[in-house]
Amino acid sequence: MSTPAAMAISAPTQKKTAAPLIVAAVVAAIGFALPSLGVPMTTLSLLAQASIVGVLATAVGFLVRQSGFVSFGHAAFYGGSAYLIALLAAHSKLSAEIILIAAPIIVLVAGFALAFIMLRTSGVAYSMLSLAAAQACFELMMKWRSIANGEDGLAIKLPREVFGLPLSIFQRPDSMFMVSWAVLVVIVVCLWFLSRSHFGTLTLAIKNNEERVRFLGYETLLPRAIIIALSAFIAAIGGVLFALYNGFVTPMALHWSLSGEALVIAIIGGTRAAWGPALGAFIFIFLRDIAGNNTTHWQGIVGITLIVVTVLLPNGISGALVTLWNRARGVSNV
Amino acid sequence: MSKAPSLVARGLTRRYGGFTALKGVDITLQSGEIRGLIGSNGAGKSTCMDVLTGRGPDLIGEVQLEGVDISKLSERARRRAGLARSFQKTNIFPELTVRQQVALAARRAEFDNTEEVLSELGLMPHADRLAGDISYGDQRRVDLALTLVGRPKVLLLDEPAAGLTLEESLSLARMLRALAEQWKLTVMLVEHDMEVIFSVCDHLTVLHLGEILTEGSPEAVRSNPEVVKAYLGSTFA
Repeated sequence: MSTPAAMAISAPTQKKTAAPLIVAAVVAAIGFALPSLGVPMTTLSLLAQASIVGVLATAVGFLVRQSGFVSFGHAAFYGGSAYLIALLAAHSKLSAEIILIAAPIIVLVAGFALAFIMLRTSGVAYSMLSLAAAQACFELMMKWRSIANGEDGLAIKLPREVFGLPLSIFQRPDSMFMVSWAVLVVIVVCLWFLSRSHFGTLTLAIKNNEERVRFLGYETLLPRAIIIALSAFIAAIGGVLFALYNGFVTPMALHWSLSGEALVIAIIGGTRAAWGPALGAFIFIFLRDIAGNNTTHWQGIVGITLIVVTVLLPNGISGALVTLWNRARGVSNV
Repeated sequence: MSKAPSLVARGLTRRYGGFTALKGVDITLQSGEIRGLIGSNGAGKSTCMDVLTGRGPDLIGEVQLEGVDISKLSERARRRAGLARSFQKTNIFPELTVRQQVALAARRAEFDNTEEVLSELGLMPHADRLAGDISYGDQRRVDLALTLVGRPKVLLLDEPAAGLTLEESLSLARMLRALAEQWKLTVMLVEHDMEVIFSVCDHLTVLHLGEILTEGSPEAVRSNPEVVKAYLGSTFA
């Protein structure tokens, strides 16, 4: 039953829903049209990579936005999902479809259980615990040669057809861009609606002032754990895309540097908008490619970009775009 | 004013290690009254509110809300039972709009009066703005709105006028008086601003070093030599 309070939450947002959804639909349609517009295969390869990394960055940004937690360990969920697929494909009799669906669900459950340990900490301690947990996974895969083949990694043995589609669909840049772009769009739209739901409002309130939320009569531990688990689940979906596209996984998919890269992408794109980290992923991947083609010191250019964005655009590039959009429509930033 | 008590508290005690911040305080709030709880810093006013609302560990004392024993309830359950409080520091949600946060509070209350509270507190012009973007005075009103929404039975306000100008404080006092009468609220108000206390309260309780020094009408308290000596000084005597 919709209470007046629920309507009060949604009423002002409903008015603002149509225009952003139209813009989102146009951007999504442009993405789907790119492969048929004669875009070079190298560019489509970058777009596919950006979409996959964008899913991971979206998971990190979602966690920051809805809980305030800064994770340095999301690669554990991403790479963990890819390793689960590789190991289940090699050692179980389950069908590829079940394995691909089960991997992120296992990560979701693990993320939910882990959340109750992580939630004993906050701030820097949370970040360090996430880093330590992810590095433990990295070391485990590095050292456990009999199962995970150490630093040489594992080939992901999938049948020629998955979900009724040829496996090559997932391994060609043009078609994989379409798949990963579709997944990214669905995730961002779902998160956008979630952020406007009662649960989104509640978790944002918990992030702002947990004690006051408790005093309003709400339970706060479970919503925070759900946010961590959902974030892990999204990162794991990125891991599924990575596994399908590459067909191979090494411990580097669990390394802290990948977690750090996802965080940098989320900061560049901005975490206040659900689509910010995804935008950041496309900017980051293309910036890295352009810089890498012109200098061996591409990390320096990425670093300078991060400094410039952090200092001049504290809400990231998406935050700046939202401010411009609101100014153009003559409304305040909400 | 009805004589039926809204809140009866007996033996409220709070210890921090070897230090006893509140020493067996008894308080009875009659239905519809506005009670002022005053005293110098460290007298135990906020601690008294904490114990009444079940905030923190090792709370001692019995609390009855409209005849129902709520002593064993958590702070969350006490809020749902109708005992609401505001905090000394502005305790709002800066990333939510004013309407979003009042509606969020209303969802957990028995009675949803979000629009009424926004209107009565003069927050309608800011309803769709982020609470972090409005003035401090308006943020204090949002804080009050979060406490008022759902029409609680008893309202405990911890320094609602802190940081406000004299004019804003008196305006807040008038609004509180009007709302208490209109909604038949029982209010206990902790406040250092004596202008607010004397203009709005029916009855005062003076705490000193964790114990009740005296209770009575504002006039009686104002002229009590012990209160003048311990807290008021000569300004309000």
